Amino acid sequence: MEPVVKRLRGVVVAHWKEIVLGAVSLVVFISAWWALHVYYANQGSVYAEYLPSPKDVWSTLVGLFERPDPYIRVPFSEHISASLERIAFGFVLALALAVPAGLLMARFKASHAVGRPIVELFRPIPPLAWVPIAIIAFGSFLGPVAIVFLGIFFPVLFTVMLGARSVEPTLIDAARTLGASRFAVFEKVIFPYTVPYLMTGIKVGLGIGWMCIVAAEMVSAKGGGLGYFILTMSEFGAYEEMYAGMVMIGVLSVLTTGVAGIFENFVYRRMGMK
Amino acid sequence: MIISVEHLAKVFTKDRREITALEDFNLEVQEGEFVCLLGPSGCGKTTVLRIVAGLENKTSGTVMIHGKEVGSFRPRVGMVFQEFALFPWRSAKKNVEFGLEVKGVPESERTAISTKYLDLVGLRGFEVAYPKELSGGMKQRVAIARALANEPEVLLMDEPFGSLDAQTRNLMQRELLRIWSTARKTVLFVTHSVDEAVYLADRIVIMTARPGKVREIIDVPLERPRDRTSREFISIRSKVLAELDEEFDKARAKELTRE
Repeated sequence: MEPVVKRLRGVVVAHWKEIVLGAVSLVVFISAWWALHVYYANQGSVYAEYLPSPKDVWSTLVGLFERPDPYIRVPFSEHISASLERIAFGFVLALALAVPAGLLMARFKASHAVGRPIVELFRPIPPLAWVPIAIIAFGSFLGPVAIVFLGIFFPVLFTVMLGARSVEPTLIDAARTLGASRFAVFEKVIFPYTVPYLMTGIKVGLGIGWMCIVAAEMVSAKGGGLGYFILTMSEFGAYEEMYAGMVMIGVLSVLTTGVAGIFENFVYRRMGMK
Repeated sequence: MIISVEHLAKVFTKDRREITALEDFNLEVQEGEFVCLLGPSGCGKTTVLRIVAGLENKTSGTVMIHGKEVGSFRPRVGMVFQEFALFPWRSAKKNVEFGLEVKGVPESERTAISTKYLDLVGLRGFEVAYPKELSGGMKQRVAIARALANEPEVLLMDEPFGSLDAQTRNLMQRELLRIWSTARKTVLFVTHSVDEAVYLADRIVIMTARPGKVREIIDVPLERPRDRTSREFISIRSKVLAELDEEFDKARAKELTRE
């Protein structure tokens, strides 16, 4: 534990200005939210109900982990894990297809010619436009997974293509004179060169993934998930629960991005690039 | 004869215009020889090297290494580039082992070989260093070790010291001769520095302006280590320089008439 504490202290010392400013920014935002709530409450406006105080939202959120909401009556953790599972599935599926597709499309004219029309046709369609048909076709679990897949696939595909296109030609020449086969060039030169680009794609994709999953879950009335939870709570007028669900998405998104960042650091360290 | 190039021609097509980079280029290199290719920029000296390395296709002519036609097989050559071309995600050791790794040499053997060559280039103790932690001269030492670790028949060097500062450049030239005399490799070395060519080479191949062919081959019969200030050195240097200047003027004249 000792070195972890030491490292944390180091981070705090090095970045105390940013930490203070970040904290101030959060405090100002929450105060403004709170002030608006108090203002509506004093006026006796119904908006006070639509905008509960941050304190009530927080205690509702904490309470949700102790007992299920009185409407759906499913433990909150099950909603969370339902959403996380869908994201994980969609994410893995998108990576498994987008990385090889991006590498091939970037490096082979034929694959580019084959892939490009499909990509150009599908890219401008927002993933959310697929929600209704995806739910009908794939059901309440795989439907949202498909939406997450669509949301993550394109940013990963494009960043991987960009990375694979920008490989320094002399690196490939060097590998070839050292006896590397075509496959070895892909495996040992083009792919590692693309990794930093891939990491950017992953982080962008995760954010889009959260947007997609919530919207997709709002359409499907079965199978739980945070999107379903938020929509249902608003229908019952349980606004504190609704906001608690929204805050939870924010927290989870920060956590998944954080995990991606730690993973990125780990990979760069292993690759000697940090 | 380790390298033999006969009637080599290379025509590039660029913007629908054909550019003849090489025309009737002939060269023979003996085993263990150090040959420098010298010429005005754009004369195709790098193209010769890339064709010998099997990195580029020729238009016509024959290029043989040990009597076997390049193109029908992958020549066992080591190439060193001006930009070092080290893999930034690999340590010095792992860079040197790249060729062994793709050949499937087992790890213990790889370590023995990479240790030997990092030693040879004077980088003992830098095994775990990554390229970005190394100076330009050290990077090029890694690149040389990497090329040698593959046990090439020929070492091809494309302006390897072109991006180094003058002091490091002189040091690396001395180091290269030391490594060359230990490893006993045939070297084909591209440069545009007359001084470098006279300091290093057994023979200097002066190329004409585009289309590149051999203008003249000048022997450098001086003992190594060579003294750059000796009368013999300077006299060879001026002779090479005079030839090169003429080609340089031709190249410039051609450039001007094109516009």
